[in-house]
Amino acid sequence: MTSGGDLIVHGAESAAPSRWRGRLLGAATQIAQLAAVLLAVSLLTFLLLAALPGSAADARIGPLPNFSPEERRELIETLSRQLGLDKPLLWQYVIWLRHAVTGDFGLNYQGVEVSSVVADRLVATVQLGVASLVISTLGALLVSLFSHRTRWRAVRGGIQGSVTLLLVMPPFWLGLLLVVVFAVQVRWLPSAGYVAFGDDPIENLKFLVLPAVTLALPQLALFFRYLDAGLRDTSSAAFITASRARGLSERAVDYRHVLPNAVLPTITVVGLVAGSMISGLVIVESVFSWPGLGLLLVESVKQKDYNTVAAIVLITAVTYVIVAFVVDVLYRIIDPRTRRSAG
Amino acid sequence: MSVGSVVAGAVGAARLARVWAAVRRQPPPLLVGLAILLPFVVIAVFPGVFAPRDPFEIDALPLQGPSGTYLLGTDEVGRDLLSRSLYAARIDIFVSLSSALLAFAVGTVVGLFSGYVGRRVDVVVMRIVDVFLAFPTIVLALFLIAIFGRGQWVQILAIALVMTPSTARFARGEGLVLRSRGYVEASQVSGATRRHVLFRHILPNALPTLLVAASVLAASAVMISASLSYLGLGAQPPDPSWGNMLRSAFGVVYDAPLYGLGPGVCISLVAGAYVLIGEGLRRRWRTDRHRGSIGNSVGGL
Repeated sequence: MTSGGDLIVHGAESAAPSRWRGRLLGAATQIAQLAAVLLAVSLLTFLLLAALPGSAADARIGPLPNFSPEERRELIETLSRQLGLDKPLLWQYVIWLRHAVTGDFGLNYQGVEVSSVVADRLVATVQLGVASLVISTLGALLVSLFSHRTRWRAVRGGIQGSVTLLLVMPPFWLGLLLVVVFAVQVRWLPSAGYVAFGDDPIENLKFLVLPAVTLALPQLALFFRYLDAGLRDTSSAAFITASRARGLSERAVDYRHVLPNAVLPTITVVGLVAGSMISGLVIVESVFSWPGLGLLLVESVKQKDYNTVAAIVLITAVTYVIVAFVVDVLYRIIDPRTRRSAG
Repeated sequence: MSVGSVVAGAVGAARLARVWAAVRRQPPPLLVGLAILLPFVVIAVFPGVFAPRDPFEIDALPLQGPSGTYLLGTDEVGRDLLSRSLYAARIDIFVSLSSALLAFAVGTVVGLFSGYVGRRVDVVVMRIVDVFLAFPTIVLALFLIAIFGRGQWVQILAIALVMTPSTARFARGEGLVLRSRGYVEASQVSGATRRHVLFRHILPNALPTLLVAASVLAASAVMISASLSYLGLGAQPPDPSWGNMLRSAFGVVYDAPLYGLGPGVCISLVAGAYVLIGEGLRRRWRTDRHRGSIGNSVGGL
């Protein structure tokens, strides 16, 4: 089997300049595409906001209970000029985008800067997201390896069955079961709430366990399916038969040859799940009153706090696009085969 | 008994046996999935026939555990939980099925067209799909609900819109594969219109693969619709839905830990039934070419 590495070495002297030019061109095209998607995402967010009844200036400053009607009208007029509401829609978009890029999403329902509210919630969300991702990736690795190496077919069947079951359990239903067992019956963990890590690390971790596991289990099931398929496909590959024929032990074959190759396709999935985790976070944070971005989004939707909603929508979409891009680039670096076919 | 009725009986029995044999030949996942789903559809259409009590009537003490009269117990104001779980099927099945059908219809037509026509149309359509795919599912659904207000139709449209782009992308792949098939080229050469080729050749041949994907789509729709009503943005009380019942279950989890059993099991059964039907159809039609490309998005919640 020729690998991508061999090809590069052989072609190095003759094709080097053109190869580099091609690669640079490819990278430039990709970055241009990324920028185009990001622009389109922000445009769509803006257009949906513009579909709202009422003026954007009105929505942007919120009700401001402490202001008299005159003061409020003045403020709206000033803001309308600043936002260019007398200008065409496209120009309004440019102004909106310029504000958004610098992190200025206007004021929320209570007259507080949206950016500061969002920043406050970011820590909790990132902690929960990272914790669940660690649990799900490690768990999926262990479970899939165990399922791959076990001799009993019944055990494998049981694992497959529970994984399928996990995939049809929405997080709030799974979360309820975990709460009933671990908070109501055995009372090891609190059922909902949050303490900042800085205030009390132990309490923080206690509150973290149930939401993190609830978020992690469906991810684990998803990763397991890819890993499992990867392990199965890889172990029937010719180079595995070859290493068995060389006399390597089953253990060595599994850990040194099967696993690294089986993990590859799963990396993309882990990346994409990490990028779109907000969908799960919205629900899990609501279930466990975890004060992160997801809970903020739900609260803002209910209060019709459009600036906050728009900010979170834009942030999460941009995060997803960028993460997906990074995963794609990383994958090409890790797996040279994709580089060759893509070029 | 007359000779005629014996003969008729024998013919009837033979026909029944034939039908039974045909059923037996189907893949087991398909049968199991249908055996779970069909009762739910019947319950969704006629909940009154199956529910033992009135789901809105307060006729007992609140938060009773399961008993002979109230098989799943009662809720926080004393309504029968089993009856409410069954009535919830009406909303949940209707919302999930109609949004999945809508997403399937629009996504399939757009995707197949884009893949079949190719070139510039394809590039434009796929870039639009990319932009929509950039928004995480629930976030986009919440955004749409924030802007267009709550209500059943907004909910259906929001769920459908969230699922359409991935369907379109999937169907586009099928269109791309099928357009270079011999029978398609033959039809083009003999002067068939684009519409004829698309609806008479491409669509029927893509349908098995697309239906497998659609069953998974329906499973996602059940979960998304339940999620929205869990968040309080779907069906509103007093109308029961599995999502809003589970929300109430959290409020009283220390007093009635078994409250959420009914709605939770229902969601998993219906979503699981769709997944099984998809798996069954895949085995029946051997469409494993695309195994996993859309099927794994269920867990993406």
